[in-house]
Amino acid sequence: MLSLDFLDDVRRMNKRQLYYQVLNFGMIVSSALMIWKGLMVITGSESPIVVVLSGSMEPAFHRGDLLFLTNRVEDPIRVGEIVVFRIEGREIPIVHRVLKIHEKQNGHIKFLTKGDNNAVDDRGLYKQGQHWLEKKDVVGRARGFYQENRSVKDRNYSFLTLGL
Amino acid sequence: MAAAAAQGGRTGGGGGSSGAGSGSSCGTGSSRSGLLDKWKIDDKPVKIDKWDGSAVKNSLDDSAKKVLLEKYKYVENFGLIDGRLTICTISCFFAIVALIWDYMHPFPESKPVLALCVISYFVMMGILTIYTSYKEKSIFLVAHRKDPTGMDPDDIWQLSSSLKRFDDKYTLKLTFISGRTKQQREAEFTKSIAKFFDHSGTLVMDAYEPEISRLHDSLATERKIK
Repeated sequence: MLSLDFLDDVRRMNKRQLYYQVLNFGMIVSSALMIWKGLMVITGSESPIVVVLSGSMEPAFHRGDLLFLTNRVEDPIRVGEIVVFRIEGREIPIVHRVLKIHEKQNGHIKFLTKGDNNAVDDRGLYKQGQHWLEKKDVVGRARGFYQENRSVKDRNYSFLTLGL
Repeated sequence: MAAAAAQGGRTGGGGGSSGAGSGSSCGTGSSRSGLLDKWKIDDKPVKIDKWDGSAVKNSLDDSAKKVLLEKYKYVENFGLIDGRLTICTISCFFAIVALIWDYMHPFPESKPVLALCVISYFVMMGILTIYTSYKEKSIFLVAHRKDPTGMDPDDIWQLSSSLKRFDDKYTLKLTFISGRTKQQREAEFTKSIAKFFDHSGTLVMDAYEPEISRLHDSLATERKIK
């Protein structure tokens, strides 16, 4: 004999009310999804908000900061800007600063990056045989960031950084 | 007044549980319909968390609906609710289309389709807001009384209610629209929810049902006088 009292509300509903509850949940999920996709369309970047995972950009960015990115075609990448890029074959994007750029007449560029807090440039991180990054690897350029209140400074989460 | 309601609650609870007991013994006949009978708990007294405002309002609304539909045998019209369900379904459909299209054609090729879906979704949200504010207006039941002679159009009864946040005053409004004359008459009452619920949060139908009947009869008798 079923005596599950917490299901009483569900049992009292007719088909329409049940469907409405399912729809309500779907609408909440859809709203979040649509806001994210809308941001993707507006900024032109496939991941408009990213989280800084490692300490390689200190003291500018610390672990846990949020970065807002744009990836518009008409904005050229210049030396000194902070870009978020993805290396071929790796899933996790990296946030570093642009060090050198080679630019052709037709606008095609290749550039080199380095983290502010790293001792060497990123050639060690790139794919085997790759020495430069190209526009297609870029996820976006950092336009703004949000830093939470850091009450416990320099907490060590190095087991999470995955060697970046 | 509260003590009288508690007394009524105990007798109402006793009557309700005996009704549920006889229902379950009838259900052992055929196993499939028996499971459905055990699932539906129409006869069980409604018990909710008395401090949860939305649960209180929902249970009062559902009980008022039950009284009108079962006691007076009106037929419920689902048009208003179906409209809202359709708008929500279309919005979710746009979201699902955007999700699947973006998965099949990775960004940035999917940009135009995504932009279309996002804009359509927010337009549908706007339509939904307008619909619930102006067309639905906190009405939760539209019921028809079929004319027995079959000649005149149906009379429409509408129930709407309001219960403010953290307030205990519940307002129930009954609207009668005559099918023949298209005239509209309303009656409402505002009472504290403490009059209808006992200490444990069980809705006392013995205290609630007379209120509904009184509203209904006040509108019905006016019609007979005409």
